[in-house]
Amino acid sequence: MSANGLLRDLALAAAALALLLLVPAAFPNPALVDFIIYVAAYGLLAMSLNLLTGYTGLVSFGHAAYFAGGAYSFGLLMQSGAVSIPAAFALSVGFSALLALVIGAICVRLKEIYFAFLTLAFQMMFHSVILTWVSLTGGDQGLMGGIPRPVFWGIDLADAGSFYVFCVVVFLICVVILRQITQSPFGYTLRLIRDNPRRAEFLGIDVYRAKLTSFVLAGSVASVGGILLALFASGAYPEFAYWTMSGQAIFMIMLGGSQVFLGPLLGAVLLQGLNHYVTAFTEHHGLVLGVVIVAAVLGMRRGLADFVWDRRETRRERRAAEDASAAGTGAGSAPAGAAKEGGT
Amino acid sequence: MDLEALAGCLSSAACAVTQVSTGLIIGMLLFLVASGLSLIFGVLGVINFAHGAFYMLGAYLAFAAYGLTGNFVAAMLAGALGVAVFGAVFERVFISRIYGRDVLMQLLLCYGFVLILDDMVKIVWGADYKMMGMPQTFALPPVFVAGGPVPPYYIFMIGAAVAVGGLLWLGISRTRFGKLVRAAAHNPQMVGALGVNTKLLYASVFGIGSLLAGLAGALAAPVRSLTPGMGLSILIESFIVTVIGGMGSIVGAFVAALLIGLTRALGAIGFPLFVDGAMFVMMAMVLILRPSGLFGRQV
Amino acid sequence: MTDSNRILRRRDLLKSAGAVAGAAAVSSVLGAPSIARGQGKVIRVGMPTILSGRVAILGESSRDAARVAVERFNAAGGVNGREIELVVRDSRGQPDEAARVTRDLVNSEGCEIIIDAEASSGAFAVHEVISDLGVLCIHTCSETSALTADPELHVPTAFRAARQGIHDAVAGGGYAADLAKEKGLVRWMTCSPDYAYGRDNTAQFIEYLAIFAPEIEIVNQAWPKLFEPDYTAYVTRILQVEPDAIYSALWGGDLVSFLEQANLYRVFGSGRTFFSGGLADPPIVNALNQLPPDLHSVFRYDPEYPGGEGNRKFYADYTALSETQPTHWSWQNFTAVQFMTEALKRTGGNTDGAALAAEVKGMEVSSPFTESGTISMRADDHTIVGYPVAWGRSIPEPKGFGNWVRGDWGEILEKETEWKQRQGYL
Repeated sequence: MSANGLLRDLALAAAALALLLLVPAAFPNPALVDFIIYVAAYGLLAMSLNLLTGYTGLVSFGHAAYFAGGAYSFGLLMQSGAVSIPAAFALSVGFSALLALVIGAICVRLKEIYFAFLTLAFQMMFHSVILTWVSLTGGDQGLMGGIPRPVFWGIDLADAGSFYVFCVVVFLICVVILRQITQSPFGYTLRLIRDNPRRAEFLGIDVYRAKLTSFVLAGSVASVGGILLALFASGAYPEFAYWTMSGQAIFMIMLGGSQVFLGPLLGAVLLQGLNHYVTAFTEHHGLVLGVVIVAAVLGMRRGLADFVWDRRETRRERRAAEDASAAGTGAGSAPAGAAKEGGT
Repeated sequence: MDLEALAGCLSSAACAVTQVSTGLIIGMLLFLVASGLSLIFGVLGVINFAHGAFYMLGAYLAFAAYGLTGNFVAAMLAGALGVAVFGAVFERVFISRIYGRDVLMQLLLCYGFVLILDDMVKIVWGADYKMMGMPQTFALPPVFVAGGPVPPYYIFMIGAAVAVGGLLWLGISRTRFGKLVRAAAHNPQMVGALGVNTKLLYASVFGIGSLLAGLAGALAAPVRSLTPGMGLSILIESFIVTVIGGMGSIVGAFVAALLIGLTRALGAIGFPLFVDGAMFVMMAMVLILRPSGLFGRQV
Repeated sequence: MTDSNRILRRRDLLKSAGAVAGAAAVSSVLGAPSIARGQGKVIRVGMPTILSGRVAILGESSRDAARVAVERFNAAGGVNGREIELVVRDSRGQPDEAARVTRDLVNSEGCEIIIDAEASSGAFAVHEVISDLGVLCIHTCSETSALTADPELHVPTAFRAARQGIHDAVAGGGYAADLAKEKGLVRWMTCSPDYAYGRDNTAQFIEYLAIFAPEIEIVNQAWPKLFEPDYTAYVTRILQVEPDAIYSALWGGDLVSFLEQANLYRVFGSGRTFFSGGLADPPIVNALNQLPPDLHSVFRYDPEYPGGEGNRKFYADYTALSETQPTHWSWQNFTAVQFMTEALKRTGGNTDGAALAAEVKGMEVSSPFTESGTISMRADDHTIVGYPVAWGRSIPEPKGFGNWVRGDWGEILEKETEWKQRQGYL
């Protein structure tokens, strides 16, 4: 299955790549290219978080720590002038993976909301360190002076076109990796842990280890998103590590959908797209964006991709059982209190 | 780090009084906000991400009412009750529609309201810094307690917060309403089956939780400047308090808020640069050693 | 679309409501915003700034002052019949957003010049983008000296029309030292926000204070975090330390909170002297219920200083269209537009970044905000000099500042050169 799945994913990725490479030619608008790069960076943050949230059932409120970890370590390595871009890239991902391993080892022992808050605490400590260690990080001013982009393997990232191709390729590679993880036996183990951790334990699965692996993988992919954003903004800023950044990632997942693989990416497109256009349209973008979000939540009660998926499934089921009455399907509204979850 | 200065301060009565009262001043407002957050979470399972925005709303409503009437009591009532009504309606009209859905959906909904409220406040009151003003009654020189000065308004503020907290605790632990609330937190289906109007119950709990945030905002309005987005920092600190105290525990929120208040007050002398870090370290320690918090039910 | 891209006035609620529907529709078509390039007639000028959250007043008072200047320029006929249109965007204080918004303003909104009204880290992010895009950019809100002083950060088309930490520090140190000698203020304490600007500003103030009055002693330094809502812990620390004088780099809403909370403890008025790096700004003075007498502040903005028709006219024009009081960001943005429009006149409407930069370099414009009547853009490090760096004293009734003592620019420039040498910038 995995060989076939891989081939299919690679084919899809190649098609997506071809499509994305056509964009600058078809729409010669630098803003659209910027937007795609931006979505790629934030999309990786959201999609990697969904490996934890959607597939493993671990809601992390501190995922931006690894995003920022990637951005800062990459920026610092490049500013040191000692390493090439690929080396800095690899080292930064490695650093973030290590960071995720240390933090994850402590956090994944906890359940549900406690896990969420502990990851938040670690992220804020990381944020405090960035703000306080001014001599290294530049404190609240961020890494000043830009991030140098020496040519490597004949690729010059200072050129806007090459940079776009680089971002798109890196992004798609990460997406294929995430897809492969979720479709692998390990991915199904994660789903089992999400749905029934006790059963997973009975089956002899090392739940702790599986969760930790998922945590580290998610952190590593998030750091790639951070590197892309650092290259785009030509700097790394403490805001990358602030809790609102993790919040944004969660909002993207919820807006796009957590049960469909590309849902979080859709969420990133939606949130950034709304942000971009509403800000350009009116000064009262908070009001407008807020209303859109509230309407979306109440209208769909789940992410857009999940909503579409559920609708399709419902329709298929309905067709399969024509004799059943059409009443009572669709997005039913659970009465308050009748079905409530989350309280501990 | 200047632990010597800290020790020196604590050994002098005047300094100890000032710093401890400072801890109370910071802690008690935080307690009001956090206990509302904790109550809503404990009973409804909702992480009210908009709680900081409710605090802001309370402050602005108090500011507006004080501007209109010049009456301090009216300002406090406007802040507290205005936000309480807003919260109850918010629960009925919006939050209740997504019970039973992914808990994170509620977070997204609340985020939508944070954006809306922040912008509304800016539209209605403008982006200027605002200050409600100290009512004449409290415009007195500080009172000296064991040589340490404490402004009368702060004495009132601490008293009000403790009284409200006490009432809340009594209400939840001693009254029929409180029993229902506790029962609903435990087993909502059963409470519903007993013929209790759970919708009203949920709306009241959300309203009371919001009232606490609104009251905190109103109490802060005479001494803290009002700006759009001012709810952000108190929100994160309230989360810390809620986690340390134990989610759903009023007593826990009280103790944890005091702890954070004292950390801030004494930290300003002993370890000023690490105050923020210390709060998150405390939160992490509690989560690691006792995830349900100091006063939470064990999981 | 073109129409709706104009800056909207507040209370344009109907328009925003329409935008709900509009934005939802537009977002599905992720194409180019329909701005026709090369309209030829108007010159679009982009302004990335902060219009939401706690420092929304920065963006509002920057935008409105820039609008005053732009409207005057347009009313006078523009340049060769071309008018200026200001396109303002909110970055929400996120540096990566500031970078993206700036690129977007230039790349798809067709803006040919950038007036950067970003604070702190946002300004550095915009600075990087400008080095890429090569358009003319005038920073108007960042006071961090390094932005223009550090040659490693130099960008040929980027300028700064804002006051600068080091200038303030020299003037402030001199002013405070005179008072310290006169009144015997020996024990000093500082209370400033814990971030780059607060720390640099405070360190430089102390440095020059100690140079001019070596006998002073710093007994304590408090560092509340930025946007701290409660200063009680720091106020009580002042009571314990009992300094003769306090210097604070707090600004905005933070300063309002600090002063009101300090008033509760009667910190001022008992012979303790307060020196502020930001108090004499109209919105802050306005927000305070009571302004204690004899507080000292560096000049930020005052419609009465320097006296003169030009300043009063600016104040009247500004308050006619803005809902906020003018701030120091206001005069800085007004000044930036002055430099820009003058450069456009000289190039005959050519908006090429290098061509405009060549004109702005070393340019002197007449200014209603300075004692000398002019303000100039220093050629070697692209920052303004000759702006007012006066210090004044608070007047409780009616609330305001007066008794301005003008800073000595000769001395400021001399000390600044020494400072640059010490920093390795020269």
